Amino acid sequence: MSEVISARALRELIGGWLKAGIRVAGPRRVATDQVAYAWLDRPEDCLLGGYIHPHNSIKEFFFPRHESLYEYRIEGKKIALKNPEPLADERIVIGARPCDAAAMPILDHVFNWDFKDPFYNRRREQTTVVTLACREHDHECFCTSVGLGPDAERGSDVMLYELDGDMYEVRCVTDKGGNLMAGRTETSQLTGSVPPGPAKKFDLAYLRETIGSKFESPVWTEATLRCMACGACAYTCPTCHCFDIVDEGNARGGIRAKNWDACQFPMFTLHASGHNPRNTQPQRQRQRVMHKFSIYPDKFGDVLCTGCGNCTRHCSVHLGVQTVLEAAEKSWRNATV
Amino acid sequence: MCACEARDNTDSLADGTISRRENIYQPSLMEVLQVRRQSADVKSVRLRFSDEAEGKAFSFKVGQFGIFSLFGYGESVFNICSSSNWKDYIEFCFRKTGRVTNALWNIEEGDTLGFRGPYGNYYPMDAWRGKNLIFIGGGIAMPPIRCAIWYALEQRQDYGDITIVYGARTVGDLVYADELDEWATRERVRVVRCVDPGGETPDWKGEIGFVPTVTEKAGIAASNAVALVIGPPIMIKYTLPVLAKMGLADQDIYTSLENRMKCGVGKCGRCNSGPVYVCKEGPVFTLEQIRLLPEDF
Amino acid sequence: MLNDLRQTARQLLADKKVDVVIGYGQADPAGPAYPVFITRPEDTEQLVFNDRCYNNLTTFLTRKEIRAMGRAAVLVKGCDAKSVVVLAVESQIDRQSVVVIGMACNGVGQPSLAKCRTCDVHMPRHTDMVIGQAADHAIEAKDRYAELAEMMSKSASERLAYWGQELSRCVKCYACRQVCPMCYCERCVADKNQPQVIKTSATTMGNLAWQINRAFHLASRCVGCDECTRACPAGINLRLLNLMLAQATEEQFDYRPGMDKDAQPVLGCFSVKDKECFIK
Repeated sequence: MSEVISARALRELIGGWLKAGIRVAGPRRVATDQVAYAWLDRPEDCLLGGYIHPHNSIKEFFFPRHESLYEYRIEGKKIALKNPEPLADERIVIGARPCDAAAMPILDHVFNWDFKDPFYNRRREQTTVVTLACREHDHECFCTSVGLGPDAERGSDVMLYELDGDMYEVRCVTDKGGNLMAGRTETSQLTGSVPPGPAKKFDLAYLRETIGSKFESPVWTEATLRCMACGACAYTCPTCHCFDIVDEGNARGGIRAKNWDACQFPMFTLHASGHNPRNTQPQRQRQRVMHKFSIYPDKFGDVLCTGCGNCTRHCSVHLGVQTVLEAAEKSWRNATV
Repeated sequence: MCACEARDNTDSLADGTISRRENIYQPSLMEVLQVRRQSADVKSVRLRFSDEAEGKAFSFKVGQFGIFSLFGYGESVFNICSSSNWKDYIEFCFRKTGRVTNALWNIEEGDTLGFRGPYGNYYPMDAWRGKNLIFIGGGIAMPPIRCAIWYALEQRQDYGDITIVYGARTVGDLVYADELDEWATRERVRVVRCVDPGGETPDWKGEIGFVPTVTEKAGIAASNAVALVIGPPIMIKYTLPVLAKMGLADQDIYTSLENRMKCGVGKCGRCNSGPVYVCKEGPVFTLEQIRLLPEDF
Repeated sequence: MLNDLRQTARQLLADKKVDVVIGYGQADPAGPAYPVFITRPEDTEQLVFNDRCYNNLTTFLTRKEIRAMGRAAVLVKGCDAKSVVVLAVESQIDRQSVVVIGMACNGVGQPSLAKCRTCDVHMPRHTDMVIGQAADHAIEAKDRYAELAEMMSKSASERLAYWGQELSRCVKCYACRQVCPMCYCERCVADKNQPQVIKTSATTMGNLAWQINRAFHLASRCVGCDECTRACPAGINLRLLNLMLAQATEEQFDYRPGMDKDAQPVLGCFSVKDKECFIK
């Protein structure tokens, strides 16, 4: 026995949400050959197939690329601060990939490990994530290598499985998801399943065990010398969360904003003195990969990667977590033989 | 030394408003009480909380840092260089280098700045009780040492001999020069000043030479001592072997790392040195701890 | 062709004429090729050349990490060869100390990229050698800019709306800048903050400011390798901006960057014959 919803009813449901003033985001065609998670204006904007992975991730609905932390007004020698507008709107992300949904509980750690980031947390509370299990993958997908898979439920409130005949099986994972779908589904005999995900690309257990002692390994240079030093990997990554804090305004006032930043930019760690601890591109790549597979898991238990493949997919030199770790595993295993 | 106890800043405002208490990125407002020029490109600033109650509730420990901001220009990280015993105000010191510090150069009494903090760990002043203290600084690194010097002088009975070695490129680059003079008059305090060769003036009475060499020649007793060494990486690199030769153990040599930071609260992802977030697990480390870190600072 | 390439690279390294060959490698025939840096003659077997060799490798000629490797040989397609010319004209490389290996190219991508459809440099020019054969067809100037016609038939406000929509997706990852051989500034204006000319925020206005700035900085310098367009993770058709400026440069100054190694750069010289009709 299962709960199902027809594609048509699902679209009507999206339409109902939009009509009720709920902000709904989902995969949407934003240009020829370009699918992005974006706010939907109409139910038909939502794509529920025909792509492997949108070019961005759902993190931007929780941790936007640009966000005002507060406003300041300059009045002579005095300053007046004003909190940002309330974050009170209910939101739904529909059609998330399991690798995107899984990023959210991983990011919860860093935004809460000591000081709690209220901006991120508020959006987490307000947003329901409806995930669409994957039936296809490409060369860049590697969710199975980091312990996830095409129907991993982590981070999702509801899971949708495509069924024949324009139907979806609906599995509510959390109470929040249950409330969202209550009364919207019908009972059926059909159950959804997904084909196997991508073959494993690397041995996570081995890498986790080894990587911490490989800071000086030559593989970083060998495997990453071609890095172009842009932020495409970090900005399309569901788990990269580094940011900058900047002032934007004029002589009368403005905002202090949190903007995405990326560890591949040389300026990222440049000291005021001119000294730069990470002075070459391979050092910066090492930081990115070690942050994901050593620093973060040592602190929080989870690897900072969901295997979505966006880093490699959007890299102009085909360099990403997967290609670097494949090279690293090969090199380190050979060295110990 | 870890100051990473969990903090609960959550608030329960139902309308989605992020309260002042919750907004960890929102600074306190502080009034500029005094700006002092320390050298051609360094100034020190004294600040008081604009909100009296906030000022009363505030406390910190020497060695911690704050994030200071000038609205319209941005935030910058500085050590709180006043002693934690001083209750009415805090001080910081900056060199004119980037966007924020160039703008800070023009502030005057009565202006309003932003302050977030205190952040990070601190010097283990309690554990240093009963020990001889060796302070070694170079250039703009005097302020983060100064707070500990004043603190030790204010609890003079708790500490043994105090030796201060401070060097800068030129005589004009020595900051807190007047306080160095004052410290030198105190009991059981020795101040060794030095400038790089060529940086001296005709009436210069201090040493001429680099900090590591001057430290070596100073004949400082290392028994029962701890050292706090802060300065440019190159100075630290050459001073450490000198201290080892003097007989100081790695766990008795302290420094404060100055990795670039933005958030100060362990989120923005840039200050780490290998597995360690300098903003939370630092900035104060012993040499013993630093030796375990990859060279990433 | 591949044998010739590997043989040439092997010889250059064996004779110690160069320290590194910047070429293409490909781990998976179904995946794209990517840059490799070959330093030992025996590793030249890794080199490939096919229609998945997208990258303009000349960008690496000005990279600190690659410069540190010593004297370089670099593989170029016809479009990439033009950027070698511009880099030399702008004194960013010493042309004599770089070995430029031209690869005859019939276009990259399946289907071919837009730039390949109007390419008239299938045989690279101004290289030290060319490996392989390809037929060049003359392309009429108007055909080079045919893609602009539709855009330019729109009103200014429609065009602004189009760019506003497109650039709302820009996340300021600077992939466009980083892959660009002409973006060799040690500190980009976008990274300067005294004063802050371009806001760092990835908002539509901030993005517009960035892309307009970049386009102007590339005016009469962009060789049209279109790597920025390919590298953009958000799929913004930056090619249109570059084409527009290339068209103006060709029409006003009869100049196509990188085509003639002896031509003076348009922004670097003055001629009494310069048209001034673009100043309105």
